[in-house]
Amino acid sequence: MKTYAETEILDVIVIGSGAGGAPLAARLAQAGKSVLVLEAGPSFSPSRYTSDEIEAREIYWLHERLSGGRNPQPFGGNNSGTGVGGSLLHYGAFLPRPHAGDFRLHTETGRSVDWPFSYEELLPYIEEVEAFIGVSGPSNYPWDPTRRYAYAPPPANPAAMKMREACDAVGIRHADGPTALITRDFNQPHFGTRKACANCGACHQGCRNGAKSGADNTWLPLAVAHGAEIRSGCHVHTIETNQAGRVTGVVYTRNGENVRQRCERLVLSAGAVETARLLLHNELANSSGQVGENYMTHISTQIWGEIDEEVRPNRGYPSLTITEDMMRPKDADFAGGYLIQSLGMMPITWASNIARGSKRRGADLVRTLAGYNRSIGMGIHGDCMPSPENRVVLSDEKDALGLPKPLITHSYGPNELAMHAHASRLLTRMWEAIGAKDLRLLDRAAHMMGTARMGTESGSAVVTPYGQSFDIDNLWISDHSTFPSATAANPALTIMALSLRTADAMLKN
Amino acid sequence: MPLPSDYPEFLASDHLSGRTRDILVTRLEDDRLQAPRVLSPKAFAVLEAILPVLLPQEDILGNSPLNLAVRIDTALAGPRDGWRFAELPPDVTAWEQALLTLDDLAQAQHSMPFPALNASEIGQTLDELAEGRHGINAANRLTPEQMQKWSFDLRADAIECFLADARVQDALGISANLNGGDGVFQGFQTVDANERESFEPSPKFPSAKPRDKTFP
Repeated sequence: MKTYAETEILDVIVIGSGAGGAPLAARLAQAGKSVLVLEAGPSFSPSRYTSDEIEAREIYWLHERLSGGRNPQPFGGNNSGTGVGGSLLHYGAFLPRPHAGDFRLHTETGRSVDWPFSYEELLPYIEEVEAFIGVSGPSNYPWDPTRRYAYAPPPANPAAMKMREACDAVGIRHADGPTALITRDFNQPHFGTRKACANCGACHQGCRNGAKSGADNTWLPLAVAHGAEIRSGCHVHTIETNQAGRVTGVVYTRNGENVRQRCERLVLSAGAVETARLLLHNELANSSGQVGENYMTHISTQIWGEIDEEVRPNRGYPSLTITEDMMRPKDADFAGGYLIQSLGMMPITWASNIARGSKRRGADLVRTLAGYNRSIGMGIHGDCMPSPENRVVLSDEKDALGLPKPLITHSYGPNELAMHAHASRLLTRMWEAIGAKDLRLLDRAAHMMGTARMGTESGSAVVTPYGQSFDIDNLWISDHSTFPSATAANPALTIMALSLRTADAMLKN
Repeated sequence: MPLPSDYPEFLASDHLSGRTRDILVTRLEDDRLQAPRVLSPKAFAVLEAILPVLLPQEDILGNSPLNLAVRIDTALAGPRDGWRFAELPPDVTAWEQALLTLDDLAQAQHSMPFPALNASEIGQTLDELAEGRHGINAANRLTPEQMQKWSFDLRADAIECFLADARVQDALGISANLNGGDGVFQGFQTVDANERESFEPSPKFPSAKPRDKTFP
């Protein structure tokens, strides 16, 4: 890997090496730009990842966040990551495309907001991402028959099989979902051999054989091959500007030392909490007052139940079966929609959800835990609207680097509550239909979006539809901070597609 | 080096990575630390009293239960999971204050320290905690709303410490850590229901077994 001296002025510095930063870094490096990616976390060796869920937290973002509101979101797992590759190191690799209607929900319903461009405009980038990283899926996707996936789906575990039965029982369609993993060996250019998925089930604890399509085994090697440097262990805390207000560089802490690195252009790809935190802490790019505002999640209601079979929910790709039939349900009393996926789960993650989602104790709790090997689940991802109630702000507490800890306030509004209630009824009916017992509904939210929304007007948005700051022309944002609304799809694919689109805009700019 | 004979058999499997084995073996020995690292003796005594009612271990581990209170205290002394409820003070302070709140309330309501309460009284306390009906409005103590939030942390930490133990995983027949070794990353050959691979532990605790009598 090429390395740049601390005295050099880079064409582009990217803060964050995950889904937002990595595709863009590769694209810009390919175009001949000098690119430095600063990653706060370490560079991991995939063979060292451990299925032990306590120690596996090393790939989660563990700098403390304060979680408030009526639906305080648990952070740690299933949210931000750390390390070269970002959150894609631990993401579940469920890779549905966003629904075209979710980009124009305001036009459709008079509620939420429209995106400043159409799904069709993003589609070429979506297809490029899928083709480059490797995605498995069915030969015929019921909700988009034109779509093709390069890899066959991994085998269906019992939760996936039971969800198929449940869908049939209540009359909704189902399919193998799009998953960002490969099911036959592949020699990834500039990386090397990626092995086929071994059904180990520990996607959230780090993929040990390269089957999961992350940034560390796709975009980042491509970026490095074209001269980019990925510098790990660098926690950026200061963004420096000149008298004209343009960004001149950053200061990061590495091994306890502060290092200044200058650049012509800066890209923030630190995620919806850390990108907002950096901008708020440095008091930048916020003439709209929208930095930190409109924090969004996915409504991620789950149902769990037991069946009289040994299913071992740790085995196999965790969440294979999908239905998109609830993207616009006929009986909806809400705007937007949700998708449903089957759920297997590693035991401690599963048990922690139950601990936080029920009041069981004593023999009842022990019996519930003992039912792990018979447990099957389903979960939804539901669209979430921007709301002035939900935001990231700086708290009064400082972290070890002296930065204010972020305070995240998250409460469901009427639309989210109605969607949660609708999903709860349907999931219960589905699991009852296949005879699952001891049903437990978990009211939970996952993922993070918003806080630096894109839009066409500088008074109501932080960045343009291409991710360029309205206030500072050499500052760009490429991550889920810019989402105007959540959409129902897991965010990774949209983030990567937007990242390529932003890179193209930077090259034209 | 051979493992002690009373360690779960699966720890010797070549379907377990070396690093994961080391983690699990080290954890088996965590209980040897008897004194709390971060909690005061008074708070620790409350924790020791509440855990057997929240999560009785005898059915799963027989006469050699884990010292869950020590494990939770050890976990509190180490890196945490990256977030906390905004309404609560930092984790160690929150746990100390929550446990002392329980002791104060036991004194006020039953005229005895919390560890002297019987299992029924402690169980009722757990229910009231979860419903947000148990707390104190005083300095260095937690309100009912705060205690409710802390009670979720209590439940989560207790269960995490419990299931992270190799003996518990073995008793419940959990194969999550047997997902691939170092030399050969085997993964799982089958993910089908009722198809247990030879290296996967079978459940030893009666209610962890399938209820379908046709399944061996």
